Amino acid sequence: MLLQVKNLRCGYGSLEVVHGVSLHVCAGEIVGLLGANGAGKSSLMKSIIGLMAPWHGGVWMNGRRVAGQPAWRSISNSMVLVPEGRQIFSDMTVRENLLMGGYHNPDRGMDLDMVLDRFPRLRERIAQVAGTLSGGEQQMLALGRALMARPKMLLLDEPSMGLAPLMVEMVFAEIRAMRDLGVTILLVEQNATATLQIADRAYVMESGEIILEGEAAELLHNPEVKRAYLGKGYKEVWE
Amino acid sequence: MKVFDRRNELMPRPELEQLQLERLQSLLVRLRRNVRRYRERLADLRLESLDALASLPITTPEDMAESFPYGMFAMPLREIIRLHSTMGPDGAPLVIGHTRNDLTQWGKLAARQLVASGVTANDVIQVCSGTGPYRGALGITLGAELIGASVIAEEAYHMDAQLAMLSNYRPTMLVTTPSNALELMRAMDQQRIDPPSLQLRTVLLSRPVDEATREQLRAGLLVEVQSSFGIEEILDPGLCVECEHGHFHVNEDQFLVEIQAGELLVTALCREAMPLLRFQTRVACSMSRDKCPCGRTGVILKPGNRLDERLLVNETPLYKGQIAEMLSHTRVAGRQFAVDVLASRVVVSIQLTEDIFSDMMWPLIDLQRSLELEFLARLGAPAEVRFVQSFE
Repeated sequence: MLLQVKNLRCGYGSLEVVHGVSLHVCAGEIVGLLGANGAGKSSLMKSIIGLMAPWHGGVWMNGRRVAGQPAWRSISNSMVLVPEGRQIFSDMTVRENLLMGGYHNPDRGMDLDMVLDRFPRLRERIAQVAGTLSGGEQQMLALGRALMARPKMLLLDEPSMGLAPLMVEMVFAEIRAMRDLGVTILLVEQNATATLQIADRAYVMESGEIILEGEAAELLHNPEVKRAYLGKGYKEVWE
Repeated sequence: MKVFDRRNELMPRPELEQLQLERLQSLLVRLRRNVRRYRERLADLRLESLDALASLPITTPEDMAESFPYGMFAMPLREIIRLHSTMGPDGAPLVIGHTRNDLTQWGKLAARQLVASGVTANDVIQVCSGTGPYRGALGITLGAELIGASVIAEEAYHMDAQLAMLSNYRPTMLVTTPSNALELMRAMDQQRIDPPSLQLRTVLLSRPVDEATREQLRAGLLVEVQSSFGIEEILDPGLCVECEHGHFHVNEDQFLVEIQAGELLVTALCREAMPLLRFQTRVACSMSRDKCPCGRTGVILKPGNRLDERLLVNETPLYKGQIAEMLSHTRVAGRQFAVDVLASRVVVSIQLTEDIFSDMMWPLIDLQRSLELEFLARLGAPAEVRFVQSFE
């Protein structure tokens, strides 16, 4: 197991939003974490990466306990988060953004070429200020910046959010290609169908709890997944 | 080593235990949300370790019977695509539901057993339940389809028809009940059919048998003999895989097992329609965590006898209470009777009182036959009715 999470609880102020979640990701897998808005997915991600201190439970990366460590240590644990909404440095150029991603990487010059080969659109825009890129290009930049850190594990928080359907397809194709490079991926998404089509396994989260776990191909046809997404409005049909 | 699902059957213990914990935690959430009986019992109970399993409530066969027909379902009926029935305590009917995913999973679990028994896409499988019921035939068919093996889609009840199928279709595997396998062996002997003249390589029995019976079948049919072991209220076959070393490995990625006071308790982690928490199987069992040369990491079960009054008559489950209940609806209601249960039939001795006595033979023979037919129709068990003057 590359990433292991056990009984993790976290929240804001006195409000607990993740209620004892356990999950794991094996090396080389794409694992989806699905759920509707407010299910607690992003809070869980923040807790895993160290942006939020867990209240309870543990996180292990490659067998080493990482829960409670500051977020900047996650790079040395080979774990990188691509946050929701991209969070690129919008006043910096594409090149500067990418080099910032490889700040700790002594071979960043070489890796920059590799990333630009992978995302030719970024090469075309190398000197452009990142804030002027389209949504899809910004997402590519966020993925490229993450790759510059040579991660073993990528945590992707809603990479398809706000993108046009064609761009979503491209982003998911890139995610699949990253797995082929040997990167393990935990993919947090609301786009269940697209995620389940590229993931090996997935977890479905609802109200801060995991309600389902299984192979992605099987979850695609699971009525509970639909119910978890449609929420209370679906209840009448359900019952 | 023949393994169908290497990832799950050979999963290292630490990963397997993490998976079990995750599945158990999400199962508790689903049970609390979707099954009233569990919602009342679980309240806000959460589980942080598999070691705390014993703190969770037990599900009894009586719970299932009280919830008949759909009270234990964790899915709305429109998501259930297959309903099976089985026998609960004292013959009470139970309903087992399957969603589409449940059937897919069942096929995969059955395929694990078939592959462990040497089945490949080149094999032909004959499923014969004989005269007794074998509800696992569907699971075997689903599993065989996944492997690509051919299943003979005909059920031969008469022994001659079974033998004809064995010689015409040339199956390499026979899936059947122990009683039928023994019967077949005797029939082949009587008809002087030489086992090597058939293509049969393996017999997969519907339930575990003692070593003597296994050896008898091995020697009589000149085949490998393997057994499946499951729990009808949960999944049968599918709970375990019997490996080439004769060990029943639990499919622990899908089932959590524990032994409590010698009884096997099973938690179905992945069943969608009817997941059960710590189900009391009423089957005696012992468990071992010894390493097996086959490489499977699931714990090894050694199944024993039933712990309740359930009998097996010609592979049909039967409770003695059902016999009294059945007789109470017939002309001999209220008469004293004694029951002797044999492997192939029930022998019922009924006291011959003045009101049913006749000096002619045919009314008594008629009564005797109608009672025997009633046994078969209502209980599915062959019976032999005898009239006796008095009980010593």
